[in-house]
Amino acid sequence: MLLDGLFAGGTYALMAAGMALILGVVKVINLSHGAFFTLGAYVAYALAERGIETPIAAAPLAAVIAFAFGVFLGKSFVNPVRSHPFALPVGTLACALLFEQAAQMVWGPHPLSIEAGKPWIGPGGLVVRRWGVIAFFSSAALLGGLKWVLSARPGLPLRLIAEDEEIAGSLGMDVETIRYLTFGGACAMAAAAGALLSPSGAVTPTMGRAPLLLSLVVVIVAGMDSVAAIFLLSIGLGIFGNACAWFLSPQWSYVALLSAVCLLLAVRPAGIVALAGRRD
Amino acid sequence: MAAAPYRGGWLAAGIGLLLLFPLSSPDAFFLDVFTTGFLLAAFAASWDVVGGVSGQITLGHALPFGVAAYACALLTSLAGWPLPLALAAAVLLAAAVGAGIGGLSAPLAGPFVALLTLALGEIAHEAAVGNTFFSGPGGYAWGGEGGIPVALPWEDASPFSSYYAALAFLCIASFGMLRFSRSGAGLILRAVAGSPITAQASGVPIARFKRLAFTVGSAFAGAAGACFAVHVGRATATDLSLELSFQAATFAAVGGRGTIVGPVVAALVLHVLFQGLSLPPSARVLLYALTLLVTLRFFPGGVVGTVRDLALRIGGNGKEGPRSPRRRNRNRTGEGTP
Repeated sequence: MLLDGLFAGGTYALMAAGMALILGVVKVINLSHGAFFTLGAYVAYALAERGIETPIAAAPLAAVIAFAFGVFLGKSFVNPVRSHPFALPVGTLACALLFEQAAQMVWGPHPLSIEAGKPWIGPGGLVVRRWGVIAFFSSAALLGGLKWVLSARPGLPLRLIAEDEEIAGSLGMDVETIRYLTFGGACAMAAAAGALLSPSGAVTPTMGRAPLLLSLVVVIVAGMDSVAAIFLLSIGLGIFGNACAWFLSPQWSYVALLSAVCLLLAVRPAGIVALAGRRD
Repeated sequence: MAAAPYRGGWLAAGIGLLLLFPLSSPDAFFLDVFTTGFLLAAFAASWDVVGGVSGQITLGHALPFGVAAYACALLTSLAGWPLPLALAAAVLLAAAVGAGIGGLSAPLAGPFVALLTLALGEIAHEAAVGNTFFSGPGGYAWGGEGGIPVALPWEDASPFSSYYAALAFLCIASFGMLRFSRSGAGLILRAVAGSPITAQASGVPIARFKRLAFTVGSAFAGAAGACFAVHVGRATATDLSLELSFQAATFAAVGGRGTIVGPVVAALVLHVLFQGLSLPPSARVLLYALTLLVTLRFFPGGVVGTVRDLALRIGGNGKEGPRSPRRRNRNRTGEGTP
């Protein structure tokens, strides 16, 4: 149970990092992030139905599909309406619901499951699930790559835009293009996380809601600066969520996450507002 | 959003048409569609009090709606209260819930209000789906997906009386909300929506007014919810669902936020259109989401507001609309953080 939480949390970190990237560079709260997670899971399911059962194959494919959708969404919706405080949360929520309903019409409302492969039995009867190991290490690798990209030269425009978009623009950077590419990339990360985690449980149209909230909590608490903090906090929340699901019932982990969001917002409004606004 | 320049004559004509409609002896199905539409329209208008007039974007507006529906069902069928008393209690409870939400969300800004209300609504929804605590007469458990029935004092309501009762409710509720949004408090709320910082600098206690907006909006939402439970005969978990909150936001966005009448018209038109075609529920939510996205993308001020701006620009001797040019420039250069 602990290990499962660890693996799931590590993969959620990938998604949370995407959320942080969007919040930092595009400066919006993307409520459709969970839909991309679901998209990844359904891609993995569709592949598994056709005999390709490894999430290693599903994750890149899901990422490419999500990148395409994300770029479209970022370019044609998020960028034009960014200055409208009403349009963004409601619009991204609309995207999420749109996708949920489309998934429900294509694949049906019933939970689907993917053959997870035989778990390995470690010493002392320790059950290590194969998907978990794969998901954990690939997301850790991807996160490491992200950290490197952000700190190295290619990530410079992203950091600059997060810091001060006007200076970035006056330096001749195409801020809008970088924005929608970032949006697409972050969506791809969410979809990859969904594909990697898909064998862990049931694939349903609304499965993306809990990871969405989890990454919101992570981003609110850990901030957007440190990939390592996001990683550790996601693991903690993954274990916490799994513990809730284990001791109570699966739906309670969703409720626990929701309550965490409410509590955070009630306790730390000033800190969060400062986080969403300009940080200088 | 400026006050709506709706002509009273058009409204009267619309109400007259709606009054005449049942006399054309339509199908009972269409009467039912319209009855539900009236209640949804009142709900959309109550969203507009919170989300439009005072600019607090709530995505959990189904919470007071559902709470009132459940309160009405539980009080009549479990506690055995008479229906009018239960209705009044349900509305009061919804207002109290609204005050609570408003109190929690008052220190928050912009998208975080949406986040908090969404989370609160989803908690209530999960609780309603999961709970089967109440055991009804006969020993079987109530609640969960099946919901809780409302004990009604009449056997079978005729579709005509439901239709006229719902229409009357819509007219009274919309009138009340319209009066509220144009009262002194409404004016202050519009100022808070426009710029909280300026409002605070002018000495407005913004937290108190935000709470007031949530309380009033939730009370009307609760009234709509209780009526809906009475009309349908039971309170179900869908009364608390995210989809319902989202529908209200859609109606308001399409009809023009802050106008009260706009969301009512949009709700009636869209609901009757989509429901009248008897689409499956998931297709309906899909269409609502599509409508909303297209509206937000191409008519950020709502369909009504954009048409009004256009008319002003064409009819106003070549003068441009009051707000649109600045907004478009902001979009193009991508300045201004949300």
